Amino acid sequence: MTPVCKEIRKDILGISKASGHGHIPTCFSVVEIIYAAYDFMSHDPKNPSLKSRDIFVLSKGHAALAHYCVLSRCGYFGIDEVYSFGSFMSRFGCHADRLKVPGIEVSTGSLGHGIGVAVGIAIAFKIRREARRVFVVIGDGESNEGTVWEAVMVAVNLKLNNLIIIYDNNQSHARGLQIQDPTAHFRGFGCAVSETDGHDIGLIQKELGRDSDTVKVIIANTIKGYGCSTLIENQYEWHRKSPNEAEYEILTKELDAETV
Amino acid sequence: MRKQFKNTIVDLARHDDSIVVVLGDVSVYLFNDFREKYPDRFFNMGICENTLISVAAGLSSQGFSPFVHTIAPFVTERSLEQIKLDLAYNRFGANIASCGATFDYAWDGATHHCYTDLAILRLIPELEVVQPGSCHELDILLRSQYNNGRPTYFRLSDHPHTVPLDEVAFGKGVLLRDAGAPVTVMTAGPLLGNVMEACAGLKVNIVYFHTLKPIDRELIERFRETKIVVFHDAFGLYEAVQELPDLCVSYHGLPDMFCSFYGTLHDIRKKIGLDPDAIRETVKLKLEQCR
Repeated sequence: MTPVCKEIRKDILGISKASGHGHIPTCFSVVEIIYAAYDFMSHDPKNPSLKSRDIFVLSKGHAALAHYCVLSRCGYFGIDEVYSFGSFMSRFGCHADRLKVPGIEVSTGSLGHGIGVAVGIAIAFKIRREARRVFVVIGDGESNEGTVWEAVMVAVNLKLNNLIIIYDNNQSHARGLQIQDPTAHFRGFGCAVSETDGHDIGLIQKELGRDSDTVKVIIANTIKGYGCSTLIENQYEWHRKSPNEAEYEILTKELDAETV
Repeated sequence: MRKQFKNTIVDLARHDDSIVVVLGDVSVYLFNDFREKYPDRFFNMGICENTLISVAAGLSSQGFSPFVHTIAPFVTERSLEQIKLDLAYNRFGANIASCGATFDYAWDGATHHCYTDLAILRLIPELEVVQPGSCHELDILLRSQYNNGRPTYFRLSDHPHTVPLDEVAFGKGVLLRDAGAPVTVMTAGPLLGNVMEACAGLKVNIVYFHTLKPIDRELIERFRETKIVVFHDAFGLYEAVQELPDLCVSYHGLPDMFCSFYGTLHDIRKKIGLDPDAIRETVKLKLEQCR
């Protein structure tokens, strides 16, 4: 784990403890993915509406806290305000609102929506012959939604090689409708698919940079709660739970023990 | 009305390169000339109504003015959450133009009948809901609303009325007859033709709406002291009129049941009492009650 991703996870834990909100395990599975994307993309935290920017969409919107913490690290806003997470007057809801938070391009929450909007954005760039790209993170559980596959079909049909889908394969699907072989699924739909370790920034970015003549899908193998054995071993209990003081101490110690 | 829809878009596109047409495998042949002129901005995206709306939201986010066009029940009832979230909540303006209003596809049965769209979409904040009754109205309303930054629903019909209207403006109802009568007939969309025929020679006020959201409250208010009778072959207008408190309003339209008949629009209108004769009888009864 890189020092910065460790710090982001500590931000997530601290904000969750303070606010009483947060899907911590699902946030922990996408920290490296979101960080790698923003580190790779063209964007400017000082000018969020930069005309030439790439677009990032978090289709699995319940990992908003991880998204906020990465955006804060990038410099879009200070982390202090994010501690208001989920409170009545906060800008930072448990699902992100694009009209409130700089850097958020699409408000998401209900699953299976962000990817369709991302396809529309990618089409817009193609119409204008702009070289901008769209990065969209979808969850494996989210991919139970039929709209994910509708959007993929449309994107493949239009050969949207400016659309990069990152599939957070954190095994959320395991307790319900299972997708046993996502690589085969996406390949069957006509995407250019590769698989990588979703907790290795270098490997993720290598895949992000790979040339493709069609829609690119990166199956990012991740672990829900990555970095804290307590979360990994008790995923269902921790799905929506936030830590009390004692639990916070345990979780931060587990994070500290992670090799950097 | 579909032809008018296409003609207006082609005309607008001559001066506006933000217009994008997104079809759900409907009216594809009709849009041939648009496709030939603007191939980069024409998409027959296929039979995936939810995604048509999401894609329109994405296009809108980048400054385009998309028109999503396909069959009414599928693009509204099926895609309600995409309309609510991807368009309205995100504040991405886009246009949805449906075909197959109410019983336009009578012969196809209940799967293709659509009468809840107006009422349901009226409930979504930020959304404009338009039911043009004629090609003239459609042309004016498309031009005035298509790129105003808000999502707009245009409900097209294959059976437009031919009643001439002096002035058509978004959000404004049309006062067709102020007879100083104790009964006011209110209607919307293509049914106006039947209503005008039914009310020939009767001393009633007649008010018409092509915009169901926002509703013209000021015009309704003028008839507060009368008995208001809403004739509408859909849900939505009655609820809109009821936005104003303490009115005396009754609804004459759809029963709370699936229509299990086929045939034509006119067959079904007759069955549910929305043909000119039945409307006339209802209005006459109301007038008698006011004596």
